Amino acid sequence: MKLDKRWPPVPAGILIGVSMLLAWIVAGRGIGASGGMTRFVAWVQQGLFPAATEESAYFGKYFANAAHPLNDYVVFLLAGLLIGAFVAAWLTGRLRFEVLRGPRSPVAYRIVLALGGGVISGFAARLARGCTSGHALVGGAELSVGAWVFMMCIFAGGWMAAWFVRKQWI
Amino acid sequence: MIAPLAKTGIISAATNLWLAIPIGFIFGFALFHAGFTDSRRIAWAFYFKDVGVPVVMFSAIVTGMLGLWGMSLIGFIDISKVYMLPTYLLPMAVGGLLFGIGMVVGGYCPGTAIAAFATGKIDGIVFIVGFLVGSLIFGDFFPVWGDFYNSDYMGAFRLDQWLGIGLGPAVLLIVVTAVGGSLFLRQVQYRFWPTEEVDPQREQRLRLQGGLIAAAVVIAIVFAFFPTPSFIDNFVEPPHYIVPRG
Repeated sequence: MKLDKRWPPVPAGILIGVSMLLAWIVAGRGIGASGGMTRFVAWVQQGLFPAATEESAYFGKYFANAAHPLNDYVVFLLAGLLIGAFVAAWLTGRLRFEVLRGPRSPVAYRIVLALGGGVISGFAARLARGCTSGHALVGGAELSVGAWVFMMCIFAGGWMAAWFVRKQWI
Repeated sequence: MIAPLAKTGIISAATNLWLAIPIGFIFGFALFHAGFTDSRRIAWAFYFKDVGVPVVMFSAIVTGMLGLWGMSLIGFIDISKVYMLPTYLLPMAVGGLLFGIGMVVGGYCPGTAIAAFATGKIDGIVFIVGFLVGSLIFGDFFPVWGDFYNSDYMGAFRLDQWLGIGLGPAVLLIVVTAVGGSLFLRQVQYRFWPTEEVDPQREQRLRLQGGLIAAAVVIAIVFAFFPTPSFIDNFVEPPHYIVPRG
């Protein structure tokens, strides 16, 4: 495959699958993105409110036995992800500061919706115990019923909401 | 069985952590090549304007699925040491609906937002800030929805168990659904969003992707002949390290 051009979807998907396989072979668990982000935000909050965060019913487990929340598999994965995407964009000459949006969308509208969509997704990923990568892809390959239900519901939710934000994209 | 390396004691816990960086690198590299650092391409899936997102997801799942169960079949990986995602049906369904809404409103999911941020996309970093706030709201007010979060627990419940068929046939069923679903979504896209552009490498791409798809179908047909116990021992409780069985 050429590295200076974007790939077709099937080989790109296969490479994502290869990263999942390597994680199973090496670590015995899947890849994931939301877990590392949750640990990061728990670590930030602990810096501001140490006692409350360490005793938190949800975040407390990250600090059990004097553990550091960032010393975890999912955080190292995120670091690699960041470098990998950067290198791929650099090799194709696609590194650029920009706000991506549809032709009819003002920048401010896009920014507000990116923030709002992020808040909804952040809450949803914690409720569902994972996001598209760690939950839908990894769980889907493991044949987990919960992962397939999660994935179908993602597309159902997206299609339901698409009409209301169409000005942002098309 | 030599894999998973970290759990059979072949590599140390520290080595395992460091090896997560090259694995994440491949993941991020692939996310870029899938076009997932562009929020428009992700959101367009929900308007059938570009159905690349489900096609990539299907390809990743099929690759992972054939690889994982294939490695178990030949005795390379000890599947009882692999973490299996447990099912909490209703919280996962509600979480999925909300997640889909967040995806079309925000244009990203967590992994793609981080990859987009790495390539300079400002909407990507804004999405990440929102995502962190959303995670914080969930964690800090956990007692409000904690009971719902832990409800409807079904253990590591697989599709083949749910359908009452063998694991091999279930794998074949998913491969057929993935191929059929991808081709169907492409037809829907061409119907609603016809394009004048002609891809100069169309034939080359079709041949490459067609070959890969054919290989996946052949492997899945071979799997369908093997009984479930040659893939997994259903009587060994898989390790859950998020929440133990209540």
